[in-house]
Amino acid sequence: MKSAQHTGVIREYDLHAASVKAGYGVIIFLCCLTVMLAVFPLVWVILAGFKDLKEFVSSTRIIPESFSTEPFTTTWSQLGIAKNYLNSLISVAGSVACALIFNGLLGYGIGILKPRGYKVVKRLVMISLLMPATISIVPLFMNIQKFQMGNSFLPLWLSFGANAMYVILFEQFFESLPASIIEASRMDGCSQLQSFFHIVLPLSKPICAVISIFAINASWSDFLLPYLVLRGAEKQTVMVRLFVFSTEQTVNADAMMRSVVFAMIPPIILFFIFQKQLTENAVSVGIKG
Amino acid sequence: MSRQEKQIRTHAKLAGDIQSWMIMLPGLLLMTFFVWEPLFESIRMSLYKTRNVELVRFIGLDNFISVTGKDDFLQALQNTFSYTFWSLLIGFALPVLLAMLIGETTRGKGFFRTAVYLPNMLPGLAVIILWSAFFSGERSGVMNILLGKLGVLPQSYLTRAELVIPIIIVIATWKGAGATALIYMAGMSSISPELYEAAAIDGASVWRRILHILLPAIRKLAGTLLILQIISVFQIMYEPMVLTKGGPDNASLSLMQLMWQYAFGGAMNYGKASAVAVIVTLILLVMTAVYSYFNRKESDWD
Repeated sequence: MKSAQHTGVIREYDLHAASVKAGYGVIIFLCCLTVMLAVFPLVWVILAGFKDLKEFVSSTRIIPESFSTEPFTTTWSQLGIAKNYLNSLISVAGSVACALIFNGLLGYGIGILKPRGYKVVKRLVMISLLMPATISIVPLFMNIQKFQMGNSFLPLWLSFGANAMYVILFEQFFESLPASIIEASRMDGCSQLQSFFHIVLPLSKPICAVISIFAINASWSDFLLPYLVLRGAEKQTVMVRLFVFSTEQTVNADAMMRSVVFAMIPPIILFFIFQKQLTENAVSVGIKG
Repeated sequence: MSRQEKQIRTHAKLAGDIQSWMIMLPGLLLMTFFVWEPLFESIRMSLYKTRNVELVRFIGLDNFISVTGKDDFLQALQNTFSYTFWSLLIGFALPVLLAMLIGETTRGKGFFRTAVYLPNMLPGLAVIILWSAFFSGERSGVMNILLGKLGVLPQSYLTRAELVIPIIIVIATWKGAGATALIYMAGMSSISPELYEAAAIDGASVWRRILHILLPAIRKLAGTLLILQIISVFQIMYEPMVLTKGGPDNASLSLMQLMWQYAFGGAMNYGKASAVAVIVTLILLVMTAVYSYFNRKESDWD
């Protein structure tokens, strides 16, 4: 992002006019206001986490009376969130691996190998982009039960290996690779699979990084299918736990807010580390997803 | 090239094709299992009487007749269109405006871009629970605290039928508008600055430049995002489930939520749930078809 280069409607010489100059001030003000609106709820929920139940339900002040971290540690251990964190970690790790391997290979097939008939696959993948995933959650759940995959992470991992958006992102990236390098490797006697792992993948680190980041976030945030699949308390992820809290109302309002904070911490960390990749790729992911 | 050589080449090509399909096979199997077969299966299931995961017998359109005949379906259908209306009213122009504002800034553009994108990263479920505390009817609800400073008496929000849908849309817009604004910003940055320069030399004011250069340039993008927005509004399900349980009195019940209730709300009626899913799919297909028809027509004119 070249911030020095000005691309807006208002040109530099417009700023000589007093009215435009004032308008520019309004623009900056509105931008700051937007940022405040975007960030305030987040700041609030963290502040609310410091309040105990009595203060949370009765206090009409935003700022908590004390900033002791004790409520957080108590909720963490009482509700056993560590276990849920571990489960989420297992779920996320497997999902990212599946997202990269299976969608990558399919993208390799329709982007580079292009065997006879690949266009049918490409068309089918494009159509599935438009169909929201939740629409067929009932038969999908039945499929999982038929294959006896209930109460296991396996279907959740594998579901990330069937993501039309990731396939298309891979396919488009692979199409942009120079064909000569791949041909050269095939001339040297690499099999198709070898040239994928030795030539294509090392060249595809940027797209793998982007898909990993989005897959981490999507798999962390997912709770509908995980809720249906991970019925036992043993394997519940953080999000499934939060969903159970919210539907069964088994925890107090203050502990609920702290659980929300616990659920938001990993995505926020991810956001601060990878903000550049995220904002730059929001376009391709947003349009296709 | 001799006949023999040709034959060897065809064989090599065939072997290569088979190898390629083998490489794609795992991905294809997963797509079939998780996406394609379930889509097809929900159509089939909607035509059957079901017991648990079993299809008992073919009953034609009975599921559809029984589902659409109920009051909650009509209410959910109406609500879903109401969701769409409010979403377009509140959430359609806002990202365009945000993109224009941030696009005009010279300093801090990177910061603004990042900050407005942040809510989009947060887990949707956590966001809904967070906002439920904002709109809590208690004196300690954040809205009541803030409005209290302006002298407004504490009131309840989520129990008022006329407010629940707009509130859910406000929450969804808070989460999604920044990400959409980044897409518009990308579209706007592809406009050549020379166009603005030329228009300015011809004496066009800032407003006229926006009206005649900027807005026409993003019109097609806006059309695409419009249809994507409608598709995502039709998927609204867990938001009312968590925030209001579809209430008060089904005032925020969405079609997808109705589907969930049939399937997992105790009744386990997968056939009727599928009938609702098929109806939603049909509505979305029709809208997508209408959109691509107009889109094609428009590009013919270009």
